[in-house]
Amino acid sequence: MAEVVFPFPFPENLELILPEIILAVMGMVVLLMSVFLSVSRQNIVAGVSIATVIAVGASVLYVSGSDASTTFYGYFVLDPFAVYAKLLIAIATVFAMMLSLNYVKDEANVGEYYTIMLFASLGMMLMVSATNFVTMYLGLELMALSVYVLVGYQRDVLRSTEAALKYFILGALSSCMLLYGLTFLYGSTGSFIFTEMGDIISNSGEDQRLAVLTGMLFVLAGLSFKVSVAPFHMWTPDAYEGAPTPITAFMSVAPKVAGLVVFMRILVDVFPGLQAEYTTILMFLAVLSMAVGNIAAIAQRNIKRMLAYSTIGHIGFILLGLIAGSNDGYAGILIYMTIYLFMTMGVFAIIIMMRRDEIQGELLDDFAGLSRVRPGYALAMGLLMFSMAGIPFLGGFWAKYAVFIAVIEADHIILATLGVLFSAIGAFYYIRIVKYMYFDEERVSFNFAKSAPLQVIVVLTTLVIVAIGIYPEPVMAMCRLALAGLV
Amino acid sequence: MLESAFFWLFGGLAVAASLGVILSRNTMHSVMWLILCFFNAAGLFFLLDAEFLGIILILIYVGAVMVLFMFVVMMLEVNEAVKREGWLQYLPVGGMIAVILFIELVAASTSGLFGSEQMAMAAHMGADVNNTVEIGKELYTRYLLGFEIAAIILLVALIGAIVLTLRERKDAKYQNISKQVHVRKEDRLRKVSM
Repeated sequence: MAEVVFPFPFPENLELILPEIILAVMGMVVLLMSVFLSVSRQNIVAGVSIATVIAVGASVLYVSGSDASTTFYGYFVLDPFAVYAKLLIAIATVFAMMLSLNYVKDEANVGEYYTIMLFASLGMMLMVSATNFVTMYLGLELMALSVYVLVGYQRDVLRSTEAALKYFILGALSSCMLLYGLTFLYGSTGSFIFTEMGDIISNSGEDQRLAVLTGMLFVLAGLSFKVSVAPFHMWTPDAYEGAPTPITAFMSVAPKVAGLVVFMRILVDVFPGLQAEYTTILMFLAVLSMAVGNIAAIAQRNIKRMLAYSTIGHIGFILLGLIAGSNDGYAGILIYMTIYLFMTMGVFAIIIMMRRDEIQGELLDDFAGLSRVRPGYALAMGLLMFSMAGIPFLGGFWAKYAVFIAVIEADHIILATLGVLFSAIGAFYYIRIVKYMYFDEERVSFNFAKSAPLQVIVVLTTLVIVAIGIYPEPVMAMCRLALAGLV
Repeated sequence: MLESAFFWLFGGLAVAASLGVILSRNTMHSVMWLILCFFNAAGLFFLLDAEFLGIILILIYVGAVMVLFMFVVMMLEVNEAVKREGWLQYLPVGGMIAVILFIELVAASTSGLFGSEQMAMAAHMGADVNNTVEIGKELYTRYLLGFEIAAIILLVALIGAIVLTLRERKDAKYQNISKQVHVRKEDRLRKVSM
């Protein structure tokens, strides 16, 4: 047997990847646990999964104190930027699992449901720590594959299966576009590592420009699919409507956080030499997303579909931060995503509670007269809706304020004006729900699901939104500190 | 000289086989053409001294993936008439995308970036270079993280496929062995006074 000398030593600083190791191992443990537990005791699995994600969040904080920032020969990075994104992903996952407690307890295969959720968040965490396209793409696929399965989890519900199939086919198409773009970039730079590619692209001559631009176009399109930027948003409303509601909440926050973080990392590290070009493309995408999201949402009667369009609109606003291309812009994106996480989770908690006679209350009409029956929930829903609309002195206002200020500082006055305009249009359909709740007669009898975790989420998210609205400085300061790894 | 002759042979056959894949009406024939295409791609790998990749391509793609494709094609029962219905309706959008992609491909490949003068001719490695060892070294050191993630992706695919398709049939008759073992005389026998 030939003597094999390894060209690299054993990877140093492996402790940085501790959160991911915990997630991967516990994912498999949960899978096995569910096999050995009887059907009536499957809720133990849910408890263990939630505890795991909380432990992962804690371990992210623990390892963030480490002096080193890269491991696996520089292919995995844990900078403050990644730490912040991972914390957001962990919080979103915990919330989504708490939303699921009541929802999936009657379903078959509860254990696999939580296992796949754990693996989905593993994929996202690997994505945000990727320093090269190989790790990034594999993390992305791990996340996407898990979410496809979760969307189609209620396989006896036709809507769920249809949504999963549509999402899967369009998701596969977007992966193809991403990979196709990557071949061009690899062909012209000969590297997969973000910063190396960035250096080569910045110094490349005119003859490479066409290939690099083509590659960038496809990579941007592929990523836009994943974060549902218009015109690549077609799958979003169907997938949101068909998916089990806790999964809708999960996929409207966590994959968006991961996708946008990767978006930012790639633009900053790989394409600094093409800033003028990608800004032009992003301006088009941002305006289209804001328009599609805010105008199409008005016509929706199903609240999950409406929130799908609302997500597209919010992503449009978030893109403004990327267009600004400044520290303020990137910090604005992080602030926006933080506040968006809490708003969305609160709204979905209320939607999941609105069960009547085993039917999910998903239509806007179901909210009519809520204030007379359940004034507490109506108040929470009202505050969250005002926040989403960006009414001053609630969290959502500061989110929009941060990106708008950044884009004005970057001298894109027209874009900021359009943003405010679409934000005003969007306010209409958010406030319409408040009108339904407070000024309309009740049309259906309410039958709220009693669930302590859901109530905790509603109260917690509403308090956070009000608190951030009154006193936003700590969150803003935190997001600025988190940029240390990016720029 | 001989090498470039083989290159044109394998390359030409691969292109012809790919055309066969998309042009043949019978799906099963498409699968067969694809197998031919993979064999020729493997031949190209051999010319590049990458015997390991060539053999892996034949073993995995021809041996496993294509067999799976055949099963899927046989199970799907594609209706030829329905498939061709409405292709005119999709032609404008599909055609537009195809034309754009074609122009991009031609533009990028004629930009000179991928021309042979840019890339030095791949020199043959010495006989002492074992490319299985070289691939192994790279894969299990530098790309170890990616390798592990790929393993987890496969696990998720496995779980997902089972979760989405496994059905316990309600109408099937199962033996309950514990019940059978614990059956008592009183359960089955009844004294009847005549």
